[in-house]
Amino acid sequence: MRNIFILGKVELLEAIRNIKFVWLAIFFTILGVTQPLIDKYMDVIIKSLGGIDGIMMDPNAPKPLANEVLLATFSGQFNQIGLIVLVISFMGMIATEKNSGVQGFIFTRPVSNLEYIVSKLFGNWFISMVCISVGSIVSYCYTIYLFDYYPFINFLLFLLFYSLWILFVISIAVLLSTFISSSIFIGITTIILAMIFMLLGGINETLALFLPSGALTLAESQLQDTHSNYLLMIAPIIYIVISLYAAKVIIKKI
Amino acid sequence: MIAIKRVNKAFRGKKILKDISFDIPEGECIGLLGPNGAGKTTLIKCITGIINYEEGEINFNGENILNFKNDIGYLSQNTDFKQWMTCEESLRFFGSLSGLSKTYLNENINEVLKDVGLQDKNQYKVEELSGGMKQRLGIAQAILHRPKFLILDEPVSALDPVGRNEIKNLIKKLKEYTTVLISTHILDDASEFCDRYIIIKKGEIIGNITNQDETVNYKQVYFQVDLSDSIKPEINLNDSYDLQEVKAGEFLVTSRNSIKLTNLIAELDKNNLNVNSIAYEKKDLEKIFLELVSDV
Repeated sequence: MRNIFILGKVELLEAIRNIKFVWLAIFFTILGVTQPLIDKYMDVIIKSLGGIDGIMMDPNAPKPLANEVLLATFSGQFNQIGLIVLVISFMGMIATEKNSGVQGFIFTRPVSNLEYIVSKLFGNWFISMVCISVGSIVSYCYTIYLFDYYPFINFLLFLLFYSLWILFVISIAVLLSTFISSSIFIGITTIILAMIFMLLGGINETLALFLPSGALTLAESQLQDTHSNYLLMIAPIIYIVISLYAAKVIIKKI
Repeated sequence: MIAIKRVNKAFRGKKILKDISFDIPEGECIGLLGPNGAGKTTLIKCITGIINYEEGEINFNGENILNFKNDIGYLSQNTDFKQWMTCEESLRFFGSLSGLSKTYLNENINEVLKDVGLQDKNQYKVEELSGGMKQRLGIAQAILHRPKFLILDEPVSALDPVGRNEIKNLIKKLKEYTTVLISTHILDDASEFCDRYIIIKKGEIIGNITNQDETVNYKQVYFQVDLSDSIKPEINLNDSYDLQEVKAGEFLVTSRNSIKLTNLIAELDKNNLNVNSIAYEKKDLEKIFLELVSDV
């Protein structure tokens, strides 16, 4: 446990020194405010870009609800460009250390494979969630200011389930890092796998019960105030445990 | 102290280490020699627990060496640290992972940096250090926790002549109180520190020679016979020796194998010769190494 804390602390310190906390939080903040602004001021934006000639804006279109705007922010912004940038930010977490020999030094100390992997997983998860949370909370404030009220506690619950999805995405990158030495290849493969799971999870809820993207389905249902099936949390947890176990076994074989 | 027994390691179906077995007694300094790709670094990575091996065992005082990681210091071939850390932070990081207390680190970091000649660089970031300085920092992290067994993979290869000399002197000091395994390509350096050499080729041990072996093995031996009784001596030596009379009473013995002086003297004794003097050309470590690793 002590080693996980030491290694995790170094991950955080590194994110502070290379201002990852700052740029990633700013990035998610920009993403977070984009969607509510677009939804609120679409007609103004179109006008300022050259007018609305030829474009029909339904004046009777219902005003979107706050949770609908937040859902669009996460499914349209955070889960697409946001996910890509997020994966790029941590794709080298193990590969860089492996290629530079730092990992070798660490393993000459009384550090187990599992301690090393867990520190990487949770260290990067914490960094990612801090930055996502900053962007999300700014987005939440904008949304309730521009649209209507949505309970903050419900939003926090959504964020909690969403964090499970992020944990799974990082666990894929951790697993891939144990046998792939190219950071770029790890990043691309992680993004593709995450996208596949998202697409499959969107087909129906029964299928999502068996997929790690069940966490995302659960988070979205939480935001939509529909019935939340908490069984959707089981599959992502199982996938994360399997990824960790496989990474633990593979890491020293290669 | 360290017992390596029948260690085998394969990678993608190819055997990299084949039945490696040797012992490292306490206090000894062992040189691990071999051409590039021989498996030296892989063996070191197995000893230090960086990678797993399929068969065999590596023990430290009779128990699995992995239970004694705090007693091992390791300098890798490609020394690198987290670039954004300062020298002091790097040592604190690795020291903490070795279970060293804050007080111990506060008291010892500057001293260790002084030992490796980096006393004025403790607040330098790793990215600001030259290759040689990184190597010194690597040695500092390897000795910070006062290990009982020190493994140095190419410790002086990246250093300039001055740095090499300083680190060689440091290694000589370290071997006074710790057991050392050094992997190096520089045979002259190895012969300065090592008591014994393990020569490895294509994953197999092909030579395990002591410094004593090195000094009693010669390329060629000259001897001079007393000819005062004016009788030309008849000399019959073992078939492995070639005998040639260089001038009256002076002979040159050569052999395709190494000549053990004690064996040769025994042979000469059998001939009842009155040998006045004996001179020899030493077969150095490089010669022995090249003979062993040569495919011919």
